[in-house]
Amino acid sequence: MIRPLLARLAQMIFVMAGISVVTFAIFFATPGADPSARIAGRNASPETLAAVRLSFGLNRPLPVQYGLLMKRLFVTQDLTSFMNRGELVVPQIFAATPVTLSLVGGAALLWVGGALLFGVLAALRPGRMLDRGLMVLGLVGISMPVYWLGAVVNLVTQSRLHETWLFSWVPPLGYVAFADDPWGWFKVLLLPSFTLSVFYIGLYSRVLRSALIEAHQEDYIRTARAKGLSERRILLVHALRMSLVSVVTLFGLDFGALVGGGALLTEVVFGLPGIGKLTYDALQTLDLPVIMATVMYASFFVVAANALVDMLYAFIDPRVRDA
Amino acid sequence: MVVQQRRRGPLAGRWVVLIVAALAGDALATSPAPNDPHRGGTLRVLAGSGAGTIDPQVNYTLQFANLYQSVYDGLLAYKKAPGAEAFTIVPDLADAIPKPDNGGKRYVFKLRSGIKFSNGREVTVTDVAASMRRLFKVSSPTSGTFYNRIVGAEACISTPTTCTLAGGVVADTKAGTVTFNLSEPDSEFMDKLAFPHAVILPADAPSKDVGVAPIAGTGPYQIVSYDPKKQLKLTRNPHFKLWSADAQPDGYVDEVNFDFGLSDEDQTTAVANGQADWKYDPVPADRLPEVSQKYPKQLHISPLTALYYLAMNTRLAPFDNPKVRQAVNLALDRNAVVKIYGGPRLATPACQVLPPGIAGHEPYCPWTKNPGKAWSAPDLDRARQLVKESGTAGMKVTVISSDVAVEKQMGIYLQSLLQDLGYDATVKSMSANVQFNYIQNTQNKVQISVTSWFQDYPAAADFLNVLFSCASFREGSDSSVNISGLCDNGLETDLQRALATGVTDPNAAAAQWAAIDRKVTDSAAVAVMFNPKRLDFVSKRLGNYTFGAQFYFIYAMAWVK
Amino acid sequence: MAEAAGDIIAAPRQDGAPGLWGPMLRRLTADRGALLAAVLLLAIALACAAAPLYAVHVAQTDPFHSNINGEITIDGVQRPVIEANTEGLGLGQTPIGPTGRAQYLLGADSQGRDVAARLLYGGRASLLISAVATLLGMLLGGTLGIVAGYFGGVADAVLSRLLDVLWAFPVYLLAISMSIVAVGSGLHLGPLVIESSNPLLPALIIGLVGVPYVARPMRAQVRALRKSEFVLAAIGFGVPTPRILRVDILPNVSGTLLVLAPLLMAINMLTESALSFLSIGVQPPAASWGTIIQDGLALLYTRPLVALAPGVTIMLTVLSLNLLGEALRDALDPRLARRR
Repeated sequence: MIRPLLARLAQMIFVMAGISVVTFAIFFATPGADPSARIAGRNASPETLAAVRLSFGLNRPLPVQYGLLMKRLFVTQDLTSFMNRGELVVPQIFAATPVTLSLVGGAALLWVGGALLFGVLAALRPGRMLDRGLMVLGLVGISMPVYWLGAVVNLVTQSRLHETWLFSWVPPLGYVAFADDPWGWFKVLLLPSFTLSVFYIGLYSRVLRSALIEAHQEDYIRTARAKGLSERRILLVHALRMSLVSVVTLFGLDFGALVGGGALLTEVVFGLPGIGKLTYDALQTLDLPVIMATVMYASFFVVAANALVDMLYAFIDPRVRDA
Repeated sequence: MVVQQRRRGPLAGRWVVLIVAALAGDALATSPAPNDPHRGGTLRVLAGSGAGTIDPQVNYTLQFANLYQSVYDGLLAYKKAPGAEAFTIVPDLADAIPKPDNGGKRYVFKLRSGIKFSNGREVTVTDVAASMRRLFKVSSPTSGTFYNRIVGAEACISTPTTCTLAGGVVADTKAGTVTFNLSEPDSEFMDKLAFPHAVILPADAPSKDVGVAPIAGTGPYQIVSYDPKKQLKLTRNPHFKLWSADAQPDGYVDEVNFDFGLSDEDQTTAVANGQADWKYDPVPADRLPEVSQKYPKQLHISPLTALYYLAMNTRLAPFDNPKVRQAVNLALDRNAVVKIYGGPRLATPACQVLPPGIAGHEPYCPWTKNPGKAWSAPDLDRARQLVKESGTAGMKVTVISSDVAVEKQMGIYLQSLLQDLGYDATVKSMSANVQFNYIQNTQNKVQISVTSWFQDYPAAADFLNVLFSCASFREGSDSSVNISGLCDNGLETDLQRALATGVTDPNAAAAQWAAIDRKVTDSAAVAVMFNPKRLDFVSKRLGNYTFGAQFYFIYAMAWVK
Repeated sequence: MAEAAGDIIAAPRQDGAPGLWGPMLRRLTADRGALLAAVLLLAIALACAAAPLYAVHVAQTDPFHSNINGEITIDGVQRPVIEANTEGLGLGQTPIGPTGRAQYLLGADSQGRDVAARLLYGGRASLLISAVATLLGMLLGGTLGIVAGYFGGVADAVLSRLLDVLWAFPVYLLAISMSIVAVGSGLHLGPLVIESSNPLLPALIIGLVGVPYVARPMRAQVRALRKSEFVLAAIGFGVPTPRILRVDILPNVSGTLLVLAPLLMAINMLTESALSFLSIGVQPPAASWGTIIQDGLALLYTRPLVALAPGVTIMLTVLSLNLLGEALRDALDPRLARRR
């Protein structure tokens, strides 16, 4: 039990190390990525430029710079940004985490609830109007680019219909911490969570519906029906339980990716200072320390979620377990 | 935003204004009295992000230069007054502007007494000398270009850590004076001392870039916290006592909050909804009709001494051929790019390098259908003819622009124009943070790019000398602001002559700058597009909006109650 | 001997029916939703293919040429394509809105170009890039998934970790970096040079991103297949691996691949539009639906149609692709079909 676990852990670290090296390489392969001139200021004299490069350690050989970067990020945790001198990177990550968690958590609640509702309703009477209608709605949901949807939501709620009773409650874009104002925090997150969840409601309701219908064909369902149990009971109790397995594993993967900063475009459109926005800003400014930190953060969650899901699968379904 | 202002005003003009002001007394003082009903409240400002380091001697952005004007003071300062009056230099921590002696190489400043930093300590001449040394120790961007004429500066530039400026900046604690000795006369030295990099900081300020840790200052406000991703907060400096309303008036509001993170669209919405008082970033193009129609009283338009232009690489085909550069200048429909920027009320077409408002500016436009003083229409036929004569038609050309919306659109328009002229043109936009340095580095072989230049201080040299002298061209460097790569011996001689003349005879120098302006414009090393104007969108409750041409919105003079 | 044994122990089809494609096609054509989706897709593809015809004969415009100072005559009145605002302080310039006429049917964008014509051309680019990316993803992902699922052990571990890397990879960083690198001289892969404007570049990136979407289900299915009786029997009889893969595995996963194809293309279309947000991909003045959305977002408050139109077309295309994928899945395995 321990051996495969350790092996998997080692593989995880290997993957993350690989990603960090590739990220580092990409950064230095990009012309114009050297931040010295930007930091030194416009029309800086060559001496000033050289002094800045020295103070940032940019004249050292690349492997040394890589080693120092990793050390500062993980060991001493005193890594500072290229763009904003003296600003520590690790506290930035921790400050952005609750924002992303709030957004993704809220969206997850919405999409799990929505998916359950739509998926079950649709599976109850497959082929009927309700089923087809809900599934088309779901398809529409997964067909819209999320940043486009967010921009349209903003246009309607912040500008066009902001005066009306419908949307006058919508607060200005940005984030309000729960500790500062719980009600404000809720209001600020409502529309972004909804926007983010639309895609996943569409996806998960369809997955759940087809999983439910597939489960219905299983032998034990036929047995339950033969025993005289009602359709509804069969659906909600037996079929749902089996279908949830595939849904839960999918959820684990998606949630992991989102928490790591996958909701990048949503955060940018709604002005939420989460991990996604941090990543986006760092990429725009080619701020290597912050890029490395966010990439490591994101890859950790993805890789960990994958590992968890694989182990869960092996646990639940013996057919898949390795010999 | 690495948009830096540079200004150069005529020395003569400045003296006149100074004398008049001295005679007229402090007639323009607007510092609020202690019991003024408008005092109080919090000013809420929005910006996309923090502008880098908070160190006033390192930061070289317009965004923070605007911030520093009411937080720090130098020996001299730009007057806090509306419009072009803000180009006037007034004594700040010094009690008067000295006249130089020793052939223009020695200035003796007498420090005012009784002025305190926000940490309670009084400002002494030791602080002044230490601040000037610190300028070199932190490798300030302008240490090698603005302040290199101070005696001892060369040693400081090569070994900053052991900078003593011995003989260059001499503090006399008994007499309360600071003496500056220059290696040669500098007609712009007063501007440079009023520039934010020369502010006076406590002598015990750290000798390295402080990053996000605020340094104490002498202005009416102090920085209490700075998180480049979230907020910068100013509160009143408890030790501030008014000494000159022209140089540093007291502020109306008690607190200023700069909140970072919102896009320019969202900032506009916030100000429109009354959730913020001022936004630093410009109003996006598609919001202009809306704000213009619904909130006309909350809009302020002010001219800027700045220009948007196309830098053409004179060392790379096809732009190494003057005919091609002339063709671009002639074919450029400046009305179209003005439209992209927001229309004729926000930008004025221009052909020459010097913007209006800078001494030496004499209206001149050779690149239009009827050459003369102003631009009227493009001359596409003549342009096409020139391209044909050059024999470069069909060549591949890549335009580089930044991803700032208006600049990106200008790049796309330019690609279309170059196609019309017969080239195989493409356009590429890149992150604004990268683009400005990318186009300067000759290794990137950039042929033509969209860029802009905002003054540091009001002087013609800040445009013509900085952008076109050989010294500003450095091969293979990210910092080579002479993007065109123009290096002409005749021009060098003219530039040196004008700089030297400016020391003794500013009027004659202005005429020389005008001639240089014409010469550079005729060389078509660049294609100037337009002079932009600044549009400020403020909240309804904001009163007494004042725009100073040097540092823009003077937030200390605005009230919210 | 093993060859002959392989012939005898040919894998039975999973659904037990005598053929795979015949009944599937029949079910497919009976499904009204699938037909609608197919018709819609065809219509969109045809319309986009006819983009040059539309631009030249209907709109009479060059949709890649800036027309900022252009003018257009509507109902005898001559109007500038980009008009100055006259209300209030008179700031701002607004492109004309939808005219409902042949010229500027959906209005103009901020360069004064015909949005409808660009929309059609944009469809060509978006569909082409997504299709190529899908092909890439299917080939690479399919191969990876099958190899990982069949061989297991070390190969599986290595490939699964590779998939993890792809899954967790900072795609946007790669995109931004590549866009800067490819600016001047294009991307050099040995003797191959890809110009920065070449749509192959974004197709490559998007294709790579989509690989895990194919590889994972493939791996799972092949792993299960690997343990099925007929495969175990074939191995036991010494049938060479390539033959097993070809005769037993491939036919059984081909159905899944077919179902995945339109779904993957749908995902790729969305990724393409997201990457256009970051200026990688189709370079101006060429258009893709993603870049038109990006242009339109800068006009959202005055001319929302410029952003809405490509968003809606993406939605319709992706919708049809998803419907088609669903219908294919239903047709392939009737157990999943809706209960009548």
